[in-house]
Amino acid sequence: MIQSEAPDHAPLEVRPRETRRSRTVFGLILLAVLILLPLSRPLIGGPFNYVMQIVTIALMWITLATSWNLIGGYAGYISLGNNVFFGIGGYVGGTLLVYQGWSPFLTAPLAGLLGMAVGVIVGLITLRTRGPAFIIATIALLLMASLVFDNWDLVGGANGLSLPLPDWPRQWVRVPFYSAMALTALASVLLSWKVAHSKLGLGLRALAQDETKAEVLGINTRRYKIIAYALSAALPAVAGSIWGYFLTYLRPSVFFTISIAAQMVLMAIIGGRGTVAGPVLGAVLLVGVNEVSVAQFGSSELNIVVTGAILLIVLLFFPLGIVGSLRSRRRLPGFLDWD
Amino acid sequence: MIQILILGLLLGGVYALMASGLTLLFGVMRIVNLAHGALMVVAAYVSFFLFTELGIDPFLSLVVTMPTMFLVGVVVYRWLFTRLEGTDRYSEMTVLLTFGLALVIEGLLGYFFTGIFRSTSPGYATNSFIVGDLFIPRGQLYGSLTSLALILGLWLFLNFTKTGYAIQALTQNRTAAQIVGVNVRRVSTLSFGIGMALAGAAGSLLSYLFTFFPGQHWQWIALLLSLIVLGGLGSLAGAVVGSLLLAVLAAFVSNWLGSTWSPMTFYLALFIILLVRPQGLFGEKETV
Repeated sequence: MIQSEAPDHAPLEVRPRETRRSRTVFGLILLAVLILLPLSRPLIGGPFNYVMQIVTIALMWITLATSWNLIGGYAGYISLGNNVFFGIGGYVGGTLLVYQGWSPFLTAPLAGLLGMAVGVIVGLITLRTRGPAFIIATIALLLMASLVFDNWDLVGGANGLSLPLPDWPRQWVRVPFYSAMALTALASVLLSWKVAHSKLGLGLRALAQDETKAEVLGINTRRYKIIAYALSAALPAVAGSIWGYFLTYLRPSVFFTISIAAQMVLMAIIGGRGTVAGPVLGAVLLVGVNEVSVAQFGSSELNIVVTGAILLIVLLFFPLGIVGSLRSRRRLPGFLDWD
Repeated sequence: MIQILILGLLLGGVYALMASGLTLLFGVMRIVNLAHGALMVVAAYVSFFLFTELGIDPFLSLVVTMPTMFLVGVVVYRWLFTRLEGTDRYSEMTVLLTFGLALVIEGLLGYFFTGIFRSTSPGYATNSFIVGDLFIPRGQLYGSLTSLALILGLWLFLNFTKTGYAIQALTQNRTAAQIVGVNVRRVSTLSFGIGMALAGAAGSLLSYLFTFFPGQHWQWIALLLSLIVLGGLGSLAGAVVGSLLLAVLAAFVSNWLGSTWSPMTFYLALFIILLVRPQGLFGEKETV
């Protein structure tokens, strides 16, 4: 066929200046809110710690969903076990605190590096397959990790490990966690943006569409995939380290459950996988939905039903997610167009 | 030694039944059904209540669970999967879809029946035949024999009936099957129903062989998926061989290291097979 085929997506459009400006303005506003929030104690008053907590949780999910998007969105390799790295980070930070007295805030980068290293090793094995077999391997990885941590006496087995409480003044106790989580979330979004705009991101999106063709074009797909997988492991491990300290206990059921994996995937898909803003939007939305649904139903069982049902609806009716659907209709507001 | 082998083989027979439905769905429709375990647990609950409320034996309840699950399968396929037909990355979309389905089922089961561990207890569940110095648990023997009979039935159906040929044709090449006049949608729906009926049968057996609770299906599905990846995705023979092999291996592991670690056998086997032979024992190298 000589006649040239139409590309499946419109060529990169040159964005009008106002789009870029509205995006910058929106970003700056968000940043300002994040910085000013911890100072707003006199303004918010009583519920201050609650607000801090909710925002910290949202920031954690932003980190998890955005990191998942690196492998699950850009590369199109759906991983249903990426919370393994979240858990590993939690346990690295927690055990070093208990046995060595090192603060998880300081050891969080270490946790991130370790998470990345585990990601490379796991990726070397699981990324040998693609499609369904890869997804299966990631589920097995998750159950394997939960089995190991359930039976590892050094870290308390299934009963877990209590961490010493930080001795900070009560009214400010949430702020360090908040700040650390905010930095982590910010780093993950910047990483996601950076990847999207790099040769790596281009290669990943190429192999997501047709791996064989990408390979023929000279992309070292294996290397690209492993890098993406390792990057998607790093920041969740950092977040895990902070989160464990925040909860003041480590337990396999906090980190290694399938429902955490489900939430990560769901957030990225709802927002729009393969986009920078999508997972962030999805995380914020779902944290809100969870808050309401727990308050309404009060039971974790119905919460699981809600998670599953939303996943079904989104897959059947908006498989591109919010950002993706809006973009394909050219209705995406400029401030949400972060790609 | 021989005792462990026997126990492993008996369990392996039941695993083979569970895995055969799963591998059939993948082979025919490229659907990785993550809800398979959850639907098995649903069938186990049906058997449980038939047993406790009406005193119906789990084997007898096969007559109820298999047709019911067949219908559930037909409805689910028509209602959910046909909408996804023709989307790119169909296989991955179905994984996510069944993932959502599994979550919904798990949550509903947990809501209605709570997380209590349950199990039916017909008389044969706990007693054994003694042969020399070996004992053969009766319940597991019956379960295994039933499973093998059902798998044999499936094999005969696939190899000696016209519909069976049509299903095999779909496995080999969907488009070509359509060209030679196979009603793809009808045959797909039928296969999905059969896969679900097998899950239903497995659930009835599960109800007295193991204790079960809503969240347990993840362990089942991970175990079964490991089996079918080992055997080669989509291969019925692979599923049977993989099940027997790993069940025996797991029986030995649980004898050496304690039963906590026996699930590890399946997960590690999965990783080793991915390293050595990613397409599985009976699988063919992926062609794009």
